Amino acid sequence: MTDQLSALTTIFTEFYYWITVVLMFLIHVGFCMYEVGASRYKHHQHTLMKNTMLIPLVTITWFFFGWWIYWAFPTGPGLAPSIMNESAALITDESTFSAKWYLPNSNLMAINLGDHISGVFWAAFLLFSWTAASIVSGAVIERITTFAFGILAIAIGSVFWTIDAAWGWHFDGWMLKLLGYHDAYASGVIHAIAGGFALGILMVLGPRIGKFSSSGEPRNIGPRNPWLVTVGLFLIYTGFWGFYAACNIPIFNLGPEYGMEGVTYWTATNIYVTPTTLSGITMNFLMSLSGGLLVGYVIAKGDPFWTYSSGLAGIICASAGNDLYHPIQAMIIGGIGVAIAYKLHYWVERTFKIDDAVGAVAVHGYAGFAGLIICGFVLNGYPSSGYSVGAMWDGSTYASINPLGQFIGALIMFFVLGLIPGWIIAKVLHGMGKLRIPREVEIAGLDYNMLEASRNDEKAVSSSTR
Amino acid sequence: MATVTNWIDHLSAKEVAGAVYPGAGSTETLLVIIGIVLWIGWHVITSVSEDEELSKLARKRHGANDHKSNITEW
Repeated sequence: MTDQLSALTTIFTEFYYWITVVLMFLIHVGFCMYEVGASRYKHHQHTLMKNTMLIPLVTITWFFFGWWIYWAFPTGPGLAPSIMNESAALITDESTFSAKWYLPNSNLMAINLGDHISGVFWAAFLLFSWTAASIVSGAVIERITTFAFGILAIAIGSVFWTIDAAWGWHFDGWMLKLLGYHDAYASGVIHAIAGGFALGILMVLGPRIGKFSSSGEPRNIGPRNPWLVTVGLFLIYTGFWGFYAACNIPIFNLGPEYGMEGVTYWTATNIYVTPTTLSGITMNFLMSLSGGLLVGYVIAKGDPFWTYSSGLAGIICASAGNDLYHPIQAMIIGGIGVAIAYKLHYWVERTFKIDDAVGAVAVHGYAGFAGLIICGFVLNGYPSSGYSVGAMWDGSTYASINPLGQFIGALIMFFVLGLIPGWIIAKVLHGMGKLRIPREVEIAGLDYNMLEASRNDEKAVSSSTR
Repeated sequence: MATVTNWIDHLSAKEVAGAVYPGAGSTETLLVIIGIVLWIGWHVITSVSEDEELSKLARKRHGANDHKSNITEW
């Protein structure tokens, strides 16, 4: 950096992403509190540690291969040519945004005086990865082994979500070109996929003991500490501010980027490098949160657990198009997402005996899925990219946003990269006898030995003070 | 091991080398291999210990409310 303006722009961008990382850390704090609050006393400590240990596991695997996948796979490979090198192969050449630079032994994957952005951008994406894994974590509490969850967390956090991000959340992604896919704040690329992945696991893992009566009627195993759940969800809301900001590029000159001669246009953009404003998406964030809360309160008859979750589901449902929606559209869409998620949750629970302990599949999976489809109708005809406008299935240009493309995109997120891989990996772990804790342990409580040791410590301390 | 021994020399070079961590340009691949071994090793160790802990606890066959007698005073 040799001139002051480019130095300021670069350091601002570096600091901007750094702040988003700090804010997004609160999402994980929230998820930990939320899960502990939702679990029963005898499982608390293991529940907390299971979720906590996804932090190091996803982080190191994100360093080893997750980040590389994002930059290597935008073309499919083999589905649509890259706009950088016109090849449909994996992007591992010498081009600017090649995955080559993000191999774990690259000198850009470290402190490098010539690169102020890769590290914070890597970290922002990593925090999305934690979120994806943490969404899954809540659904499977009280009966999954920590080993199995670690493997599944790595699979969703460092493999499958990053593939979907390369395909549908990258300026060069094939889903934008062939389908006109649009998902600005990750209704699908984080939430639908993680919800689908969780559902795939739950189909193999089975319900908690006692969740269903012998006649198949579901029983409520409500949160044991509603206040911890409440604070946890508030923290997740707070972290989502960082999530939204991290989905943007804070300052970009679109004139030269789009090849417009003599045009200078500085703006914030979304991840697809199309213009939006941080100001506008802030309104939409709050209005979709409000739409979710309003409908959740009515539909759940004031139940705090579902009302808070509905605020989140409202944001998630509107997220796909919150870079362009009117705030009232965002509010209505948020509300619709909540109604769909809530009704589907109980229908799936009753019909298929699925025990989603915290409603994660509903709040993230169903709301995200619905949000993608709604986005296809409301933003029908908008360009999915600024680089070119073309027709669906063409591949060398970018299709416009449309309902069919969004529907296919939702299927890819929820089923192809979510439910199916989750189900397969869970089946393999189940086959190895590694997926579920023994029945006796589930009844006694995962923390039994820890609680017993605490009691013995307490006795020893008491006896010394007599 | 030091990649930089004099910042003035380093920053006044015609082309400033960005990578300044110890062992830049020669140790990265080795570090990645060590990292992957540590990662896989962690799974192996924790899987074995978790299996042991779970099977030991399962053998005791505690009831659903037995843990309550272990709740310590505040």
